[in-house]
Amino acid sequence: MKKIVFITLSLLLAVSFWNCEKDDICAEGTPVTPRLIIEFYDAANPTVLKSVTNLGVIEPTFTEGFGFTGVNKIQVPLRTTADITTLNFIQNGSDTDTANDNIDAITFNYERINEYVSRACGYKTLFYLNDINPIELTADGNNWIQNIEVIQPNIETENEVHVKIYF
Amino acid sequence: MLRFIFSLSLVCISLLGNAQTKDTAKVMYPERYGLRVGVDLHKIARSFYEKDYRGFEVVGDYRLSKRFYLAGEIGNEDKTVDDDRLNFTTKGTYFKVGFDYNSFENWLDMENMIYAGMRYGVSSFSQTLNSYTIYDPTNYYGENTIISGAEFDGLNASWLEVVGGIKAELFNNLYMGFSVRLNYLVSNKKPDNFDNLFIPGYNRTYDGKFGAGFNYSLSYFIPIYKKNKTTTEKK
Repeated sequence: MKKIVFITLSLLLAVSFWNCEKDDICAEGTPVTPRLIIEFYDAANPTVLKSVTNLGVIEPTFTEGFGFTGVNKIQVPLRTTADITTLNFIQNGSDTDTANDNIDAITFNYERINEYVSRACGYKTLFYLNDINPIELTADGNNWIQNIEVIQPNIETENEVHVKIYF
Repeated sequence: MLRFIFSLSLVCISLLGNAQTKDTAKVMYPERYGLRVGVDLHKIARSFYEKDYRGFEVVGDYRLSKRFYLAGEIGNEDKTVDDDRLNFTTKGTYFKVGFDYNSFENWLDMENMIYAGMRYGVSSFSQTLNSYTIYDPTNYYGENTIISGAEFDGLNASWLEVVGGIKAELFNNLYMGFSVRLNYLVSNKKPDNFDNLFIPGYNRTYDGKFGAGFNYSLSYFIPIYKKNKTTTEKK
């Protein structure tokens, strides 16, 4: 019995020190706020994937954006502060030549739900594209994007394609 | 941590001090039985120096036999936690009941304890989520912190504690004690879309079911009746 008491005491003392350790950090790979996954297809041959070259994606009022080249699947972030996000998809936008740019503005309309993740990660935002007008392509008479199709309106993970763009 | 070492050594010194009493041959020493009640000094002190914390705990034990004590704690805590991504307030009351087993072989008329014990604790509490931050790895649109104020009432939890500690008599009937506790969560009613990150009486929760706590008690012994014990001669 005495031994048990001794073991218990030392174990508890060890635990009391371990208890003082700092808060954990949000581990990488934890499913947090998902980005919108877009896959690009050939407008002439709608079942064939087509890679983008020097595609620039930027919020119209921002100075910094994202550049994609040689890929047919991209990830773009949506606003967690509003139910609407407009992004400029610029053909040849991520190269230095601005003369060949073709800007197509796309507006995403959705609803948001904030879901609890953990102490370290806080909350994540999940997006649900609207049934009516989920995605609007602003017609400018010279759109390089031919068609947009919503595959998965519930943007909850990054593991599936949400939107297909044909060009 | 310094406070902890200081009081621990204080308790140890008082144990040593008491051990210096003179030996005598075969005498009858009455063993006193009764109720010991006190407060957790740490919770009171913390209420003063920590702005976002208010807590109080009453501790008590009743001697059942030579070595076993019926023991328990009752308390109330109100704590606001400000983490990187979350800020919340937990308020609630808890109650713990169990036993202590004294393994300390007391000389003569000493009544000190080095003990191990168990408790079953229950807590009833509410939470207010003051604010939270959305975790967006790209952070393209900037940090989004939302002032929430959402309240979650009627929450409860229960757990088992393994307790280890010491109690030493400082003066007549006045005891100073220290105990550490390893907690194992048995039940936990979580709020919708949030978690119980702090449970009054249990303390901070971790990913698993384990937690830990400690207290420093100052208590007063109320003798109720006596039983005799015979000590054999010691040199």
